[in-house]
Amino acid sequence: MFMEKRGQITIFIILAIVIVALGILLYMFYPEIKSSLGFEDQNPNIFIQNCLQDKIQETVDILTPQGGSLDPEFYYTYQDDKIEYLCYTNEYYKLCSVQRPLLKEHIEKEITKEIQDDVKECFDELESSFRGKGYQVDLNRGVFYVELLPKRIVSTFDYTLSLKKGDDAQVYEQFSIAMNNNLYELVAIATSILDTESTIGDTEITTYMNYYTDLKVEKNKQSEGTTIYKLTDLNTGDIFQFASRSIAWPPGY
Amino acid sequence: MKNKKGIINIVMFLLVAVFLISLISAEVSYCCEKTTYGAWCQNEDQEKCDSEFQKSATSCEATSYCRNGCCYNSQEGNCMSNTPQRVCNQEGGVWSADNTCDIPQCELGCCLIGKQAAFVTQTRCKRLSNLYGLSIDFRTDIGSELSCVLSATSDVEGACVFIKEFEKTCRRTTQKECNELKAKEGEDAEVDFYEGHLCSDEELGTNCAPSDKTTCVEGDDAVFYIDTCGNIANVYDASKYEDKNYWAEIKDVSESCNYGTDGNPNSRTCGNCDYLLGTTCKEYDRSKDAGAPNYGDNICRDLGCKYEGQSYDHGESFCVVFAQGKLTIAEDENKNTEEKNLPGSRHFRLLCYNNEIIVEPCADFRQEICLQDESNGFLVSACRVNRWQECIQQDNKDDCENENQRDCEWIGGDKCAPKYSPGFDFWAEGSGGDICKGADKDCKMVYEKRIGGDYTCEENCDCDDESWKRKKNEECNSLGDCGMKENYLGHEGYYDMGDLYEKGDIEEPDDEGGGGLLGGLF
Repeated sequence: MFMEKRGQITIFIILAIVIVALGILLYMFYPEIKSSLGFEDQNPNIFIQNCLQDKIQETVDILTPQGGSLDPEFYYTYQDDKIEYLCYTNEYYKLCSVQRPLLKEHIEKEITKEIQDDVKECFDELESSFRGKGYQVDLNRGVFYVELLPKRIVSTFDYTLSLKKGDDAQVYEQFSIAMNNNLYELVAIATSILDTESTIGDTEITTYMNYYTDLKVEKNKQSEGTTIYKLTDLNTGDIFQFASRSIAWPPGY
Repeated sequence: MKNKKGIINIVMFLLVAVFLISLISAEVSYCCEKTTYGAWCQNEDQEKCDSEFQKSATSCEATSYCRNGCCYNSQEGNCMSNTPQRVCNQEGGVWSADNTCDIPQCELGCCLIGKQAAFVTQTRCKRLSNLYGLSIDFRTDIGSELSCVLSATSDVEGACVFIKEFEKTCRRTTQKECNELKAKEGEDAEVDFYEGHLCSDEELGTNCAPSDKTTCVEGDDAVFYIDTCGNIANVYDASKYEDKNYWAEIKDVSESCNYGTDGNPNSRTCGNCDYLLGTTCKEYDRSKDAGAPNYGDNICRDLGCKYEGQSYDHGESFCVVFAQGKLTIAEDENKNTEEKNLPGSRHFRLLCYNNEIIVEPCADFRQEICLQDESNGFLVSACRVNRWQECIQQDNKDDCENENQRDCEWIGGDKCAPKYSPGFDFWAEGSGGDICKGADKDCKMVYEKRIGGDYTCEENCDCDDESWKRKKNEECNSLGDCGMKENYLGHEGYYDMGDLYEKGDIEEPDDEGGGGLLGGLF
């Protein structure tokens, strides 16, 4: 009798633990569970964010070690990376000519170009998703652009989405995806280094590391005169890498 | 007949002219708007110019499309000199012929923005204002970056006390931010600003009280206490934890514990860290920090490094040599040692930043050398150009060893040689050979024929000695990657003394005098 009672208590305790665990899991993952089970209609902005953010991150991860270009045309191969020259001279003893004076804008264009097919697909999916849920959908596709901003990369879509289901009507006038990334800060430092490469021919990296406490700057001179610069944000691990050839010295002259 | 001869002459003349022109054009450098390998605006051989772009048989500086100038980014307000016109226009910039960027759009001033300052153009200052949502003050009267940075001041902060959910609470803000909060809440709202006070000040009567929690603040090096409402209080000082005054008024970092000493590395009791002194606020980590702080979870982390058993402070840099396959600290960094001049060797500079050693190679072929200095025990180093080129032209010790002009040393009492011998890419034809010839030496030994037919040496008798040969080889080595020496990995070179030393022919004199033997090192 006593043993039976103890067994029942054990079962109750186990049940209680399971219920509490389920409660915690539900609390932690409630929004995801809800949306994955289709309990609610997802916010279109979140839908687009979920659909595109991996692609944007992947694009950024490809272009940042390559000097800001997805497919560098003129590059130096270093540790299997194709690193684009942002300043270059083929001659000895001469200052380099800047090859990418508007680096930030170039990177923004590169990301915009790379994600355009995915943007179309994601908005197509968004339309069909809401149609499948019985909505009358009207999507007016305007322009979209990517901006590097302090501590974030923002993609803005000037698209208008109108949803109607019975008496319920909603209009979404702009979509926006913001991702945490310090590329803006790294590009600003790269631009400053480019300026000294083109005017002095070399850069003292300690100046930057003394001023920016969470920045690591590496400078690697190659035998033929190219210098590889690698900037790393020590907090986030974000990197930016580029090549320059300025005031190169020939061996033995 | 005469006509025929004339025609032949003209044809011959044309052929010669075409030949000469082709010879000249082969030598002339072209300005390629774009090269076949993708670079913009380079002086190159004609065949390396991309045929779809412009080219001219002149220097790029003389062309309209590739002339370097100033590229102005009207959106961001940045200026970039040494930018070819074609590149600037293509990327969407505004090009100006003034390569120094001495144009009104690029005029720099001091942009005071929030707590910070930047020496930038006015457009850039406005752009920063937009990006950070802060009001700006652009000062053209401040003419240097240093004075600009020093002029940055933060708005006075204090305690902004207000009622929230029937409770008197507080937020640490500036006067302006507090006014904005008041405007938001309405004129009748009870919002008061107490300049210089902390929210934990008992006299304010808010629900914010002292706590034993600390935090790191972005843009600040120090560890700060936080109150129970999450407001930043003063710098963490364990001895002031129960000091009501310390929790009542805002104290400057300079008034806090151990300011300006050593940055308080690993201090359990003081959080007055200083990045320039080698510490910064970080969350306590048992594996990295010596001891846990008495209160809170943050500490002044020592950012120094260890390398080959030696400790270096954050920010220190020092020179090393690559010898026997690894980077090694030389006993005397500025002393010229043989290992610094071996074929394939290179000077390196190591930097200690944020607990990490960063390796920076100086230019290869010893075209740059690493120099090191010390100030109050703090090591500073730099890679700088090796000025060896004029050494062999110097004919006296003073000129040779004039450190303001060149990096040379007077050797053997009669020769000026590079102090840090340059490297050559010996696999490329002609590289270095002419320089090594500077060590060639003819040495005529004079022998006298004795009665009985024996020869005895009378002059320059040591030219055949091993010591003379070794000395001459050392002179040869000092000029560059010349002569017989091991490389930086300790591998023997492909010359031995026999390759470098050649005995000449014996010259018999016409009279009864001694004969001569020509010996020399090449």
